[in-house]
Amino acid sequence: MNAVANLANLTSLDDERLLIQAAQKDPSRFSELYEGNFNRVYAFVARRVKDREEAQDVTAEVFHQALRNLGRFQWRGVPFAAWLLRIAANALADRWQRAGREVSADSAELEAESGPADVIEIERRAMLFQLVDRLPSDQRLVVVRRFVEQKSIREIATELGRTEGAVKQLQFRALETLRKKMRKSDE
Amino acid sequence: MSNTSVYDELDQAIDQMLAEPGAALPTERTSFNELVQLAQELRDMPPENFKNRLQLELEWEIAGRTVSNESEDARQNVGAASSASANVLPSLFGKSWAGYPVRRINFALSLAVHGIMAFLAGAGFLMVKSYTPRIDTRPVVTVRLEPYIVPAGSHPSNGGGSGGAAERLRASRGVAPPAAQEQLTPPIILRNNSQPRLAAVTTVIAPPDLSLPRMREIGDPLSVLAAPSNGAGVGGGIGGKAGGGVGGDGGPGRGPGSGGGCCGNVYSPGDGISIPRAIYSPEPEFSEEARRSKYQGEVTLLATIGADGRTRDLLVVRSLGMGLDEKAVEAVRTWRFEPGMKDGRPVAVQMNIIVNFHLF
Repeated sequence: MNAVANLANLTSLDDERLLIQAAQKDPSRFSELYEGNFNRVYAFVARRVKDREEAQDVTAEVFHQALRNLGRFQWRGVPFAAWLLRIAANALADRWQRAGREVSADSAELEAESGPADVIEIERRAMLFQLVDRLPSDQRLVVVRRFVEQKSIREIATELGRTEGAVKQLQFRALETLRKKMRKSDE
Repeated sequence: MSNTSVYDELDQAIDQMLAEPGAALPTERTSFNELVQLAQELRDMPPENFKNRLQLELEWEIAGRTVSNESEDARQNVGAASSASANVLPSLFGKSWAGYPVRRINFALSLAVHGIMAFLAGAGFLMVKSYTPRIDTRPVVTVRLEPYIVPAGSHPSNGGGSGGAAERLRASRGVAPPAAQEQLTPPIILRNNSQPRLAAVTTVIAPPDLSLPRMREIGDPLSVLAAPSNGAGVGGGIGGKAGGGVGGDGGPGRGPGSGGGCCGNVYSPGDGISIPRAIYSPEPEFSEEARRSKYQGEVTLLATIGADGRTRDLLVVRSLGMGLDEKAVEAVRTWRFEPGMKDGRPVAVQMNIIVNFHLF
């Protein structure tokens, strides 16, 4: 099973096709496509770049390009996310080319990494990012401060006005909740 | 193992993972290791505001607007000074996003508008500061017309006079004799005694400042008869009535009317008499002497506005001096009025004209 087939199993193709057609007629509907694919694209890019700033730049570039070229998109039964990931791969290749890296090798690397396991991993991370948004607000805040902003427990405790032990407890509960939900989704 | 130690142990493992991102994680699939693996994956989670910010950028692009593509890296790599500013106004400098994308043009426009406002405010202060008071010595003359208040009621002032020697002919034509406050000898055309013992100037009672052209023969100015005659009146004088005046309805004066004075009935405004309205009133000139001395004030003239709208019998009631009285009389003499009206007919009206000489 190739990567495209994997993605096809994860989305409702009919709904997506209608959504793409609506966005092609009315660009304001593009936000729905963006909402459904943001985490996927970011997860794909973040695995391939070194720092968070570059991941943001490439992700932004992917969606701007997609918006500009949406009219040219032709529905052929493949998920919209596959088209976005192709744009992302091209954007990364362009960046690496400008940076003087070996393009052919990197392209091969991109192609190789876009296998089924990689697609599943992208979907997994996209889901994980989505689940963080559904955590209780204090747990979500600790996750963001600790892992995204990489602050220490003491800094977070000071910011939240709690003890370090309470913050550690929140951290544990948040990860435990995420683990349980991820397991449930894997089943 | 208590719960507290699990929290600490997990935190230590996470600390280690964050300190060495490339370090291999334990492969054994335990609940604890799964938590650490999740923590490692969460490091790649997008920053909190990035998703919303990018969505806003896309919406702006859809709306046909352009937004800054400045990367977060570029925004964060500004100098130390701007970093300090970013901490003060994070949304302005793009450090964080406060609902709207950062656009350089907005910042530039805001800066320009504030600059213009500051310049205008500063220019206002400069203008006020550089202003020096200046004395304009150009004369300004204002004129106020006031009705003349007759001291005793509002009855018309009488003029006129008449007289005669009971002759058959009407009084002959001529000019009225000189005016005086009192009459010693009434005017006479045909004298019975050509060499009187005590000669006195013949006068009529009228304002003495009247300047009348002097002709050789005196007589009734309103008469058309050329043949010399004192007229059919009695009591001396010239005319067809009694009294020592000339013409009119009797009395020692001159012209129409009766009693002393001249020129017929002169009314005071009010009681059915309208106030004359100036229709041609050139401003008096400032005298050079008064201008140099920066002298100013008011001149009050008593004037009669005739039924023909012309001024006559100008009398300076309140003098100012320095040649301004003369300038006022000189100007007012050229004025023209819509005459005062009584019962729909123009009549002579006496009133005060106050001329204000003022230097700015």
